[in-house]
Amino acid sequence: MARDIVVGSNARCAALICAVKTFISDYKCPKTKEIRSHLNIALKPCFTYLSQCRMMCVSMENFIKHIKLQITKSSPDLTESEAREELLEACEDFFKENIYLAGKSITEKAVNRIVNGDTILIFKKSQLILHILLEAKAQNKEFKVVVVDSRPDLSGVSSCERLTAAGIPCSYVYINSSTYIMKKVTKVMLAADALLANGYVLGPVGTAMMGLIANTYNKPVIVCCETYKFCERVQTDSILYNELADPDSMLKTLNAEESPVAGWRESPNTRLVNLVYDTTPPALVSIVITEIAELPCSSAPVVLRRGAVKM
Amino acid sequence: AVVSTQSTGTSVASGCDLFVRFITLSRGQNAPSSEIDILECKGFDPVRKFLVDRGNLFMKRLKDSRRKIAQLAYPFISDGVTVLTVNMSRVVLEILMKAHEKAKKFKVLVTESEEGPLMVKKLNDQGIQATLILDASIGFVMERVSFVLVGAVGVVENGGLINKLGTYPVAVMARSLNKPFYVAVESFKFYRNYPLSQLDLPNDAKYENAEDTKHPEVDFTPPKYINKLFTDLGVLTPSAVSDELIKLYI
Repeated sequence: MARDIVVGSNARCAALICAVKTFISDYKCPKTKEIRSHLNIALKPCFTYLSQCRMMCVSMENFIKHIKLQITKSSPDLTESEAREELLEACEDFFKENIYLAGKSITEKAVNRIVNGDTILIFKKSQLILHILLEAKAQNKEFKVVVVDSRPDLSGVSSCERLTAAGIPCSYVYINSSTYIMKKVTKVMLAADALLANGYVLGPVGTAMMGLIANTYNKPVIVCCETYKFCERVQTDSILYNELADPDSMLKTLNAEESPVAGWRESPNTRLVNLVYDTTPPALVSIVITEIAELPCSSAPVVLRRGAVKM
Repeated sequence: AVVSTQSTGTSVASGCDLFVRFITLSRGQNAPSSEIDILECKGFDPVRKFLVDRGNLFMKRLKDSRRKIAQLAYPFISDGVTVLTVNMSRVVLEILMKAHEKAKKFKVLVTESEEGPLMVKKLNDQGIQATLILDASIGFVMERVSFVLVGAVGVVENGGLINKLGTYPVAVMARSLNKPFYVAVESFKFYRNYPLSQLDLPNDAKYENAEDTKHPEVDFTPPKYINKLFTDLGVLTPSAVSDELIKLYI
């Protein structure tokens, strides 16, 4: 994950689930200890190592909370292999319910929002949004897509590739021209990395800009987010809690020349800041589509409350 | 079938939805003899009686809701205010009558719309000073208005308002001159739909007959223009409406 091979909150969580399943399958509990107290202790250094490679995202943190709870809740009467089976099943169920089936449910709801003649704006690459658009195309809806991309990773390019391969007419712009293109767009669809307890949407940096410009031109902003990404954190700006990615990736210029700030480490006055996330206020979002319901952004705490009651 | 007959389609649809849920999704805790657990009854007659009783309770609560709303809303009308309202609304009428009963001195401006004259007549009959204004003159009068109070045909999931044509311009005008915009609505009108634009409303909500699709009956006011909703569940903000809907339906 540190080398950007696994990217995206769903993919990273899925990869973590696979890794934890492998760990649990290979795990051998020491004779003197109980699986439910020892497994958590054994997993801890693994999670610490992962978070040192790259900061955990909210989806991964929520999965870790879930699996730790499952481990401590597991009955002491089970044999080791039975407990292991149960935990493996818990991991599988988490993936199936919260990622796979949730994705399908969100896709169904979101595809209903896409009508013939729409021009939909998406930001960079999101596995969920791409799935929605491909599904809409499979249902023979006629629409166009505008992909807004930004440096340094330029992941919008692969979005464009996937969409044009499916036969969806695609435009590709950089984020600088988003005010220009917003006039021609009918809807904006954004993915979220997390939804905070005060309704703020945490997404890849640049999402807030899309929300703001869409609001100025009165275009509806649709955010798609699975409920397992709802978190209890509260923040109103992007500085309070964020991740810094590799600053050297900002040195890549578009025409292979050396960047003018290439010597930034030697200069005492220059710093490169490569933020990963930003927060979008709930007033800028028209609707959040989750697998449970279509909600206004300010209702995110209600889902959290209900989730707590269920548990 | 009921849904297809009346012109205020959404309120009937939402009311019917809630009615069915109310009478079917309970286990008889409110029944007079609490030993009866509805799922364990043999034979249909006790179940039928139970459903009918629940139905009657539902109807009673509906009838009461207007009175409850008037009770909550009349304190917002103080002496010397000018209230602007759109078209005819029985809930708003009830609120204004209650305020008048409590000897508040206020004026009402009613936009003509479809049934404005009827509203003015009813208010004047009660002794409330009401004036009919043209729909086109809302810009002219808005600076003299203290707040806007309208009824509703339906309230949607994000707290937005579906009401007779002409409500949206009044809301935008009120917002631009910083006048509060209040909605008085019974909770059975909370409608399970989430429109993102005017055209997102289903056709049977917009038009009276399916053939005549030129002039819609209703328009949609987004939640950001609404300050408060007076409902029988309490005085709510638009974001609380979705809370209530989630509690009811999910």
